[in-house]
Amino acid sequence: MKDIYEKLKILAESAKYDVSCSTSGSERKNSGKIGNTVGAGICHSWSADGRCISLLKVLFTNNCVYDCQYCVNRKSVDVQRASFEPEELARLTIEFYRRNYIEGLFLSSAVEVSPDYTAERILKALRILRRDYDFSGYIHAKIIPGADPRLVELIGLEADRLSINIEMPTEKSLKLLAPQKTTKSIFAPMKQITDTLIERNALKGPGTMFKGLELNEKANNYLLPAETNATRNSLTVKRHKSKEKFAPAGQTTQMIIGASGECDMQIMKTSESLYKTFKMKRVYFSAYIPISNSPLLPDAFSAPPLAREHRLYQADWLLRFYGFTADEMFDEKNPFLDPYLDPKVTWALRNIERFPIEINKASFEDILRIPGIGTTSALRIVRQRRVRAIKYEDLKRMGVVLKRAKYFITCSGKYYGIKSMAPDTIRNDLLGIGNEHQISMFEESSTQLTHGGNPWDNVGKRNKDIIRGN
Amino acid sequence: MTEYIYDATFEGFLCCVHAHYYSGKASNILPAEDCLQASLLRTVEIKTDEEKADIVYRAIEQKISPFDLRRVYRIFLSGEKGKEMQLLEYIRLGFIKGKSISSYHGNPTVRNAELLEKKVTMEAHRLNGLIRFSVLEGEVLYARIEPDNNVLELLVPHFADRFKSSPFIIHDLRRKRALIAESGQWYISNFAIEDVECFAETEIEYRQLWKNYFDSIAIKERTNPRCQKNFMPVRYWKHLTEMQ
Ligand code: SF4
Repeated sequence: MKDIYEKLKILAESAKYDVSCSTSGSERKNSGKIGNTVGAGICHSWSADGRCISLLKVLFTNNCVYDCQYCVNRKSVDVQRASFEPEELARLTIEFYRRNYIEGLFLSSAVEVSPDYTAERILKALRILRRDYDFSGYIHAKIIPGADPRLVELIGLEADRLSINIEMPTEKSLKLLAPQKTTKSIFAPMKQITDTLIERNALKGPGTMFKGLELNEKANNYLLPAETNATRNSLTVKRHKSKEKFAPAGQTTQMIIGASGECDMQIMKTSESLYKTFKMKRVYFSAYIPISNSPLLPDAFSAPPLAREHRLYQADWLLRFYGFTADEMFDEKNPFLDPYLDPKVTWALRNIERFPIEINKASFEDILRIPGIGTTSALRIVRQRRVRAIKYEDLKRMGVVLKRAKYFITCSGKYYGIKSMAPDTIRNDLLGIGNEHQISMFEESSTQLTHGGNPWDNVGKRNKDIIRGN
Repeated sequence: MTEYIYDATFEGFLCCVHAHYYSGKASNILPAEDCLQASLLRTVEIKTDEEKADIVYRAIEQKISPFDLRRVYRIFLSGEKGKEMQLLEYIRLGFIKGKSISSYHGNPTVRNAELLEKKVTMEAHRLNGLIRFSVLEGEVLYARIEPDNNVLELLVPHFADRFKSSPFIIHDLRRKRALIAESGQWYISNFAIEDVECFAETEIEYRQLWKNYFDSIAIKERTNPRCQKNFMPVRYWKHLTEMQ
């Protein structure tokens, strides 16, 4: 028997590459003895890598019978193995929670024995937490592909959020790198979760993407054809008591970036269709950290594509909150994001004929599309306009980043950018590349996008500068 | 122009606002503890008077808005020196513009107020996560904080709901006050006890487990102390179990 210290160490280390940590999107009052969940989400600490620690993020077991190529816990590698006992894990969660170390539990797992066996053990741990300890805090449970739909439903009745990792941006890479997982075993439970939420009138969807649309109406969803509904009922547990909630914080998923050859356009299109099809709350990206030396994967010394992950998150934000579509961000000639500029700037430069936009007249939606203006400052602009016209000096105080915005706006008719509206000139000015240097810069460090190639190949070590420079 | 000295209470501050309108313009408003050296200006000590405070309170609520009254109160909880004059500025502007005052986002006075308020609410929000309780004998939860702002009261809604079945104490060492709560009831009072040490038996063990977890969860390849400090400023580390 391993002692609890050792178990926790092994099972936390094997869970640490999982990214979704956010606890927002669920509002649950304390209806038991201990715990509540908060809509805004709370971070409890930040680990040495600068990531927020909100949940006790562990695997239930890392004793896996599968052999996914990109995974530290795959069957064929020699690592220490451990599994929690349900009671042990519940106790640890409660003790951490009452000391305010954590916001709740994020429970993922390898496949021990079989998907059903593992799912049953997870369910047991969650039931002890909810029922024996009367815990009303946050629980995010990962669904093991291939688990019985009945178990998925029962776990959903205990958890706030469910997720099934899509793992790879395309089916092709999934087949190659995770041969035991099929797209069916991933999409079936995703669909089941969304269907159950619709049935309970509780589907909320991502960000502001479906604002104003009643998602729980069948007409607005192509997920619920009548027959699937009928077959589902035979599987489901006895109908819900009114108090029971099924995954009130919805479902999320995660895909690994940079382990396979997809371009950013494919990644964003897959994300977009996950949002559209399943109304996921979020799609998380995880920069692939070379941990295994499979010939199918980037070699063990390549740097994790952190800058790329960062830009993808920015693009994802544009999908969820700013009314952009993947088609607007990419085309066949430009299938990658610009490593040196945020995706909103890139989009604006490609659509320069829509600018400059007049701050005092434009609609809220158009203002949101201006680089350097976020949701908060857009709201402030619209609010102040009702009582007083906006002057250029006001913008900075409203939180607008003028460094980026100035090229794209006018304020009461006056333009504050540079003389030229040519995209290349603006781009160079933004990056601080003087015209006289342009040619040599181009050769030395390829800050220009080379059409056709993968720009992220050249980024490697200078990741940090790029992130800082934005 | 007069320099007003008050007793550092919210009511006292409201009385200074009253005095500014009815007895003579304020050149400065200072809490008593902050004015050690005599000023060259005319200095008047304001006695806190419930009735006057009430008049100003209602005036802000009705002539400006309940939203702005809440904003004024939160800013008052700020630990920043000179907050009183910034507040007076905001209130004065509020009496002129009425309830639309908060829409003037480009106005420097409004902007300052937004920033000050945000500092206070941000710290309270941050502490919702950064507070660390120890379990004492008898299952009482006890935490120490040294916040920049006087946020104890803002912590009540969150923790009183979350830990409603166990008694807890949040002790502000800097202000020698504590929030004491049990089963949804709470009060804030002076709290001078310095060394609370009667920990439950398992306390040390769980602290160790937490540190162990904290170290295991970091991804070495992504180590980024700057980012860590940015989110979790070093001044909070003193009371964070995992940073000991
Ligand atoms: S199922 Fe695949 S990804 Fe999950 S733990 Fe096992 S090997 Fe790793």
